[in-house]
Amino acid sequence: MTPKRLIFAWLSLMVIGGVLWATGQEQANTPHPAAPASASAPAATPSHTAAFQDAAAARLEGEKRFRANCGRCHMAPRKFPPRVMATVVRHMRVRATITDEDMRLILRYITE
Amino acid sequence: MTIVFVPFLHAQSQEPEEIKPVPVLTGGAGFITVFEDGNPELVPLISPVLLVPIGKRWLIESRTSFEAELAQPAGSGTFRGKVAKEVEYLQLDFIANPYLTVTVGRYLTPFGSYNERLYPVWIRNLQADPLIQKIAIGEGGAGTGAMLRGGFKAHPQFNFNYAVYFSALSTREPLNSDRFAGGRLGIFIPKARLEIGGSFQHLLQDERSNSFGFHSFWQPTSLPLDIRAEYARSSRGSGYWIEPAYRLSQLPFWQNAMRRTQIVARVQQFFVGKLSSDAVPSVNTKQLEFGANYYILDGFRATGSYGREFSPEGDGNIWTFGLTYRFLIPLGHGDVK
Repeated sequence: MTPKRLIFAWLSLMVIGGVLWATGQEQANTPHPAAPASASAPAATPSHTAAFQDAAAARLEGEKRFRANCGRCHMAPRKFPPRVMATVVRHMRVRATITDEDMRLILRYITE
Repeated sequence: MTIVFVPFLHAQSQEPEEIKPVPVLTGGAGFITVFEDGNPELVPLISPVLLVPIGKRWLIESRTSFEAELAQPAGSGTFRGKVAKEVEYLQLDFIANPYLTVTVGRYLTPFGSYNERLYPVWIRNLQADPLIQKIAIGEGGAGTGAMLRGGFKAHPQFNFNYAVYFSALSTREPLNSDRFAGGRLGIFIPKARLEIGGSFQHLLQDERSNSFGFHSFWQPTSLPLDIRAEYARSSRGSGYWIEPAYRLSQLPFWQNAMRRTQIVARVQQFFVGKLSSDAVPSVNTKQLEFGANYYILDGFRATGSYGREFSPEGDGNIWTFGLTYRFLIPLGHGDVK
C-alpha cells in the first residue's frame, strides 16, 4: 500500500470510528422511554444547595471543555487574572474557532 | 455567503458581560541549537503577540517574529548571522455573532492545522518544521485580505469549525502575499476528543493551481496521548506527517519528573511535485524523529530531539536542543473590581 493510500485509509478509519462512537454515545445518553420520569429528575434540594450544585457542574463542564479545546494544541496554562484571561480566550476563540458556548464555560472555569 | 450569514447577525452578544478584557502582550521565545550533519547552528528567537480587545466584539491581534540563524563561517570560531524580522499577522477581528467572526488584514493562512495552531515555538512538540508545512501556504504562510471564520455546535455530539478566505497579491515587504482563495472545514467530537478537517486553496496567479489537505487531532480520554497528523498536496509536492506525543504521567515511579516529561515521535514523507519551490525539499525525502520535552515551569521547558533524514541526496542526522518559554504580560489591571 502506498503512503498516500495509507493516509487516506487512516483518516477514513478515524472519521468512521468517530461517527460510530458519537452515535453510540448519543443513544446511550437518550433517556429510556420506559423509565419513570422521577428516575432522571434531580431530588428536591434547598435553593442554596441547588445553586452550589449548578456552580460545581458548570465548573466541571468548564474544565472538560478547557481540556478538550485548549489541550488539543498546547499544555494547560496556569491561571491569570480574569481580565487577562478574557482577552486570551477571545484571542483563542478566533484562532482555534472555539464555539461560543465553550468559550463561556472555559472563561468561567479559568477565572473562578 | 452574505445570505447564509445575515440571519445570524442578530444573535446575542458572546462574552460574559461582567469581565472587561485588557490589552495583553504575550508570545513565545526560544533558544534552539541545531546540529545538521554535524554543523551547529544557533537559533535565538522571540515572537511577541499583541492583543488589544476593543469593546465586546473587536480584537486587534498581531504577531511579529525576530529570529536569527547563527552559523560558523568556514575557518571562523564565532557564530554569525542576521536577524530576520517578520510581521506574521496583523489583523482586526469582529465577532459578529456566535457563528461568525470577520477578519481583515494580514492573517495566517488557515490551510491545515500546523500554520495557525501549532507553529509557535512554545507549542510545537518538535522544533523542526514538518517537510510539507509550506506546500500550500508558501514561504510567508500568510495572506493579506479578508476571512470569515467560526465554530459552532451543529449537533449535541459535534462541533463544526470553518474558515473561508481571500488574499490579494502584495509585494511590499514584510507584508508580501500571493493572490489566493480557500477554505477549511473541521469537525470536532468533544467526547472522543477527535478533530478532523480538510482544506482547499486555489492560487489565483501564476500557474493557478489547486492545493488540498487533511488534518486530524486525537487525544484518547484514557491516556495522556496526543496524535496529530496532516496530509497536503499541491503542484509543489505532496506529503504527510504523523506525530504521536505521550506524557509519562501514568508511570508509577519518579512521578514528579515523569508528569513533566513528554516523549514524541514524528514520521513524515515528502514527494516532489510538478513545480519546484525553495520552500520545500527538492527531492523525495523521508524523515523519522524522536524527541523529549521537559516542562520545568509553567510555560518554560527544555526540549531535545534526534532525527534521521533519508533522501537521494544523502542521508543525514539532525539534532536539536533548546529551551522555550511562553510569556504573558497584562497591559492593564487584570483583576475585576
